[in-house]
Amino acid sequence: MSAAVAPTPTYRRALLAPRRISAGLQHAYIWLWLVLFALPFVTTTLHSLRAPEGGLTLESYRYVFGSFKENLLLSVEVTVATIVLNLFIAIPAAYAIVRHPIPGKRFILSTLNLALYTPGAVMGISLAITYAFLFDIPRTFVGLLGAYVVGTYPLMLVPIIVALRDLPRVYEEAARTLGANRLTTFFRVELPLLGPGISAGILLTFVIVFNEFLVTLFIAGPNTTTAALRVYNLTRTGFLPSTAALAATMQFVSFIIVLVFFKTFGSRYLKGTYLI
Amino acid sequence: MARVRLVEVTKRYGQTVAVDRVSADIAEGEFVTLLGPSGCGKTTTLRMVAGLVEPTEGVILFDDQVVNAIPTHKRNVGLAFQSHALFPHLTVAKNIAFGLSVKRRPKAEIEQRVNELLAMIELEGYGDRMPAQLSGGQQQRVALARMLATDPRVLLFDEPLSALDRNLRDTLKYSILALQRRTKKTAIYVTHDQSEAFAISDRIFVMNKGRVEQAGTQLDIYLRPATEFVANFVGDNNALRGTVVEVHEDSNHRRATIRCGSLTVQAHAPGSIAPGDRVLAFVRPENIEVLQDGASADEPGLIEGAVEQVVFEGPAVRLLVDADGTPLKVTVSGVQRLTLLDAQRKRLRLRLREVSVVRDEAA
Amino acid sequence: MAHPTVTLSTREAVAPSRASLWKRWKGALIGPGLILPAAIVTILFSVIPLIYLVIVSFTEESSFFFNNPVYTTANYSTVFDRYLPHIQTTIRLALLASLVNLVFGYPFAYILVRRVRYRELVRTLMVFPLFGPLYLAFGIRYVLLPNGPLAPVLDFLGINATTLLISEPMTVFGMAMFTFPFMVMNVGTALSNVDPLLEEAAQTLGAKPWQIFTRVLFPLSRSGILAGFLMCFGWNLGVFVVPILLGGTAQQRVLSITLHQKGLSQFDYGLASAMGIVLMALAFGVTWLSLRFSRGALGA
Repeated sequence: MSAAVAPTPTYRRALLAPRRISAGLQHAYIWLWLVLFALPFVTTTLHSLRAPEGGLTLESYRYVFGSFKENLLLSVEVTVATIVLNLFIAIPAAYAIVRHPIPGKRFILSTLNLALYTPGAVMGISLAITYAFLFDIPRTFVGLLGAYVVGTYPLMLVPIIVALRDLPRVYEEAARTLGANRLTTFFRVELPLLGPGISAGILLTFVIVFNEFLVTLFIAGPNTTTAALRVYNLTRTGFLPSTAALAATMQFVSFIIVLVFFKTFGSRYLKGTYLI
Repeated sequence: MARVRLVEVTKRYGQTVAVDRVSADIAEGEFVTLLGPSGCGKTTTLRMVAGLVEPTEGVILFDDQVVNAIPTHKRNVGLAFQSHALFPHLTVAKNIAFGLSVKRRPKAEIEQRVNELLAMIELEGYGDRMPAQLSGGQQQRVALARMLATDPRVLLFDEPLSALDRNLRDTLKYSILALQRRTKKTAIYVTHDQSEAFAISDRIFVMNKGRVEQAGTQLDIYLRPATEFVANFVGDNNALRGTVVEVHEDSNHRRATIRCGSLTVQAHAPGSIAPGDRVLAFVRPENIEVLQDGASADEPGLIEGAVEQVVFEGPAVRLLVDADGTPLKVTVSGVQRLTLLDAQRKRLRLRLREVSVVRDEAA
Repeated sequence: MAHPTVTLSTREAVAPSRASLWKRWKGALIGPGLILPAAIVTILFSVIPLIYLVIVSFTEESSFFFNNPVYTTANYSTVFDRYLPHIQTTIRLALLASLVNLVFGYPFAYILVRRVRYRELVRTLMVFPLFGPLYLAFGIRYVLLPNGPLAPVLDFLGINATTLLISEPMTVFGMAMFTFPFMVMNVGTALSNVDPLLEEAAQTLGAKPWQIFTRVLFPLSRSGILAGFLMCFGWNLGVFVVPILLGGTAQQRVLSITLHQKGLSQFDYGLASAMGIVLMALAFGVTWLSLRFSRGALGA
């Protein structure tokens, strides 16, 4: 340091320096959107808790487990059935796509994804017509199942393919040299290692099928009204706390399942899929 | 073209202190290197000078102007990055022109300047290439040209050569020095590579844990390390723990006699050292002289030891000598090394030269 | 499969035995065999219905389902004549919503990638819109109802909640909320591939913040912007419930709603199918473009 000819210069950081203001605004912007994301759910929940004469009550939730119980049960049943069928379809398909040479692989892949890119209403009208006049399964459980499976198994395919590609072949090769045949190798070595990818596929299928109402609107009947469709139907007649209760329950269940998945596996296996 | 001053500059991230009260006065046209291990705060210091990081405390001045509140884009500094950081979507010419173009200079001026700089880095005719089509060395040269285009007040280098291979590093470091000498701009260069720092600096600031351990010329740093850290970080060293027995002062030297176990060594003593102090004495392996047979036996300060290991490294021979229980690393080069190849288990007499002393902080 | 494998014994190499031939065939069949369930499901529930839709779209009203179908192109002329405004509304709403996504989603993605450490929290809360536009629209509608939670605030500001609720801006906002995560995802991926050093380099070279955007960030994230925009646009083309809950009659003139009315209330299957084909053509066109610009997860 040179001799103290001039007094030591000082500088005090301004509390409202542009850099700090800008950083604050940026975080505020993120939080604004976070509030917006959660707001519909929060207000729906609040609405569902509202008592007619003011104050809070759980009264509306009696409907959820009362007259809406059948819809909820149907939703759970059809969702579980779709997940099971998706597994049987997507795991072999993913395995074939990653591990086997198939001529025209790209064309096949985009055809398999056909339903994914079809707008809900188009899928709905086409299935409504086909079910009614060709397959003769209008307004049936099987019809719902077919629509959900074709619409969601491509989503299950993606995380499984990603997981399978990440899986080093050495495990398979090690098992084979140890005397396991292909099938044993797959069930005892590869399938367990694909766990997170498969779970991600299950999560995606669940979130979509459980909350799907648009295709359902075209192909469901009075006996096959899912909970999500029931919410839609009820919103057409008014804004009762009981409707809010059902909608809040659906979202709550979905959110808890997503949360459990994130805590268990993280979001890695969901990269490039519907959920981030 | 500015004098750069840092006054007690500190950067804290929450509880951790990245840079701790660093002060420096860098003269106009001086080439200063911040040398230190990764995480020592050297890059953060540089980024504060560039304005990319805001100091928590302290003042940074360019000439007499406090620049703390001036955003980076108004500071007019040139910064070379570890990776060349060329814009991948722009051609070489447009990369070089970037700084002038955002300042909305006339087209003709920009074109002339770009051609001038392309000639300077010997890449005429490469203006229309994309950065990805160039070799690593060419890319770094373009980055240098880009940073010079706007005629910055200060040149800042953040380990610009660390991503390149060794041969390229050696040539480019001299290009950087030549560039700085030609433009006479103040330069601050960050590196963890001491050979780089020694090759190009006017002054070296050795940093550790956010602090400047020592600032000085190559000779100061190498032969008179001010702290234990500097002695160990820069080059190889033998460390001997001991006590000052006596301090002898004449007109221009201050010498200390230090007792390290059974050894007694003579060392250059800084003013702060007094008899009775616990100290660390440092002697470089190449500053230990192996005496030929018949050299005067009664010279004070000579040490005897048994050779435990001989490693022939080509240009030098490295010996590990046990001097009465104190292990000493000795490096011998020149033709003398060839006489020591079969020195295993022999006893040698050694003369310790240029021994430096620092206070033993652990004691 | 033409190359004989090294492990073949000499006898087999001379004349391939039945067993080895079967082995080769088996190898070639495993791949397609594994994909067969997927193919069957897709053909039954996607390919056949879409082919059926095309055929029905060329028949008069519901004549296809009676003994003698009347083939005609009248449905398409009706769609492009009488229902042209519906196509326009569909495209306009989708375009506006995607623009809103871009304008608000780009800064969101940038801040998220560059500044935010609590990314897991953001990712977790961002799944709410993905549960579907139905709950979103329902929630927003409730927020703005005359007796809803925002009513005191709106009253204080002198804003009539009903005009706010049943309006085009609110419809567009509702649609945009649903597709916001898609924009953030695409732009965020593109931005995280842009080295932050490039921004700092631009800064040291004297670029002002907006110049860093126009000259560095925008050109380097263009593919992500395009992919995100097209993805949002594609999803929003199929909009159905949002205009019903948040829009007025003007916003409800979109293809999905109209084809539902024509098909399921008025049983004009021919016209509904033609609308479906037009909507699908739009959606496929957009998807095709977006797949060209995005590097999908499959990297195919």
